[in-house]
Amino acid sequence: MSLQQLNSNSFEEIIYDDCESCLVIFSRKDCHVCKEVVPMLDELKPQYEGKFGFFYVDVEEDKNLFQRFSLKGVPQILFFANGEYQGKLAGKVEEEAVEEKIAEVLNA
Amino acid sequence: MANTYDLIIIGGGPAGLSAAIYGGRARLKTLVINKGTIGGLVNTTREIVNYPGYTQVSGPDLMKDFHKHAQSFGVEFLKEEVVSVDLSQEEKTIKTKKGKEFSAKAVIIACGSEPRLLNIPGEKRLRGSGVAYCATCDAEFFEGEDVVVVGSGDQAIEEGMYITKFARKVTVIVLHDEGILDCNKVSAERAFNNPKIEFVWNATIEEVLGEENVEGVKLKNLKTGSSSELTCQGVFFFVGMVPSTKYLIDCGIEIDKRGYIPVNDLMETNLEGVYAVGDNRIKYLRQVVSAAGDGATAAVAAERYIEELNVFNSNVLQSEKKVLLLFENAQINESLEFGTLLEEVNSESAENYKIVKVDMATKKNLAQKYDIKTAPAVIVLEKGKEIKRLTCVLDKDKLKSQLC
Repeated sequence: MSLQQLNSNSFEEIIYDDCESCLVIFSRKDCHVCKEVVPMLDELKPQYEGKFGFFYVDVEEDKNLFQRFSLKGVPQILFFANGEYQGKLAGKVEEEAVEEKIAEVLNA
Repeated sequence: MANTYDLIIIGGGPAGLSAAIYGGRARLKTLVINKGTIGGLVNTTREIVNYPGYTQVSGPDLMKDFHKHAQSFGVEFLKEEVVSVDLSQEEKTIKTKKGKEFSAKAVIIACGSEPRLLNIPGEKRLRGSGVAYCATCDAEFFEGEDVVVVGSGDQAIEEGMYITKFARKVTVIVLHDEGILDCNKVSAERAFNNPKIEFVWNATIEEVLGEENVEGVKLKNLKTGSSSELTCQGVFFFVGMVPSTKYLIDCGIEIDKRGYIPVNDLMETNLEGVYAVGDNRIKYLRQVVSAAGDGATAAVAAERYIEELNVFNSNVLQSEKKVLLLFENAQINESLEFGTLLEEVNSESAENYKIVKVDMATKKNLAQKYDIKTAPAVIVLEKGKEIKRLTCVLDKDKLKSQLC
């Protein structure tokens, strides 16, 4: 996997201090739907190099992060820009839906 | 062409992997195209206790063994989604989402099924915000909360019990009269004895309620027709499966109204060289063990079909002698008589030709390939190419004159 994993500290730095435009997938190891969505993001990532960040949170390792966003399931892709939450995509999402959402966030 | 295989299997669940094991062992150049995780839906099963040889095993572990087994026979794997197919010709072609193209002599369709959606208000909108389909993935998010489970099959009841490890209470919504569940008896008994599980009988779910997150569900009593609301923070849907065969619509393969593919004992579909196995075909039992049996049957049938194809190629298309390809129908007397006459004429003229008989009842695609509609019919082939068609008359001299 080429996505950089975030913990509570690095999450804080990248999302709120650096205000990077990015997405963060909340996932866990034994979730079969995640295993379909994560590789799709992996492949999408190079197209957005330098423009849009792709990150990863393991909900088992960083429970407080999913509690903070009161998430009710994985996988969920959360979008951020300028230190603000921009919405999410839940469950088995298609590549096209992610691309659309990224475009929306970048053009906002 | 590098992307040419003997056998391509679409789907990497137990049916597809078993077919791959048999295909690989028969030394067919075999490719499995699978879009998700190898193992398919079995990966969602925490515990399997009825696969022979394994007293107790997790779904993902069992599928790892299947996968390794197939790899040991030299089977290739590709993680991609198939988006379109052309299976009606002798050479089958398959296109993936990323634009790759493959061809094969035989294709086994093993793409399984996916959870059915009820398409009720709130179901899609609140997905990931309380609406869930996988207990292993999501049960933990409902620690100390109230959860509703919709359905009463094996999966619903077993997953419901797993959710009680985290949730405060699990309410199961059941279509049937009190006491009747669709699941196996062992699980039903366990569920009835579980103090955290409650049941609502004769009911169905009409709507998932909530703005940002699930706040409750609207239920309808099937006997009285009255509606009621139940407060909860989560809803897990286990309302059956639908076959993942949408990409096959309009490719010529027969599919029933619900999306399942009908096959015969050999797992043959209506298209020659195309087989369907596992959950995406019409069948009685959908278990790992029956999926494995399907895969084995189809791979052996495919192997024999490919063998016949190869024999035809070497016997007919690459024959040194000119070939008389005779299309026969055993039910038509004239066809059989003509066959005898053709043999006679050929032997009298020093066996200039090799006669190859084709039974129209079983070799439908050959008849189609040469556009033959009635028997008898004869095509004269030289080095695999058609040079003429005979007029099939039961007259020795007329026939002889055509063969000079």
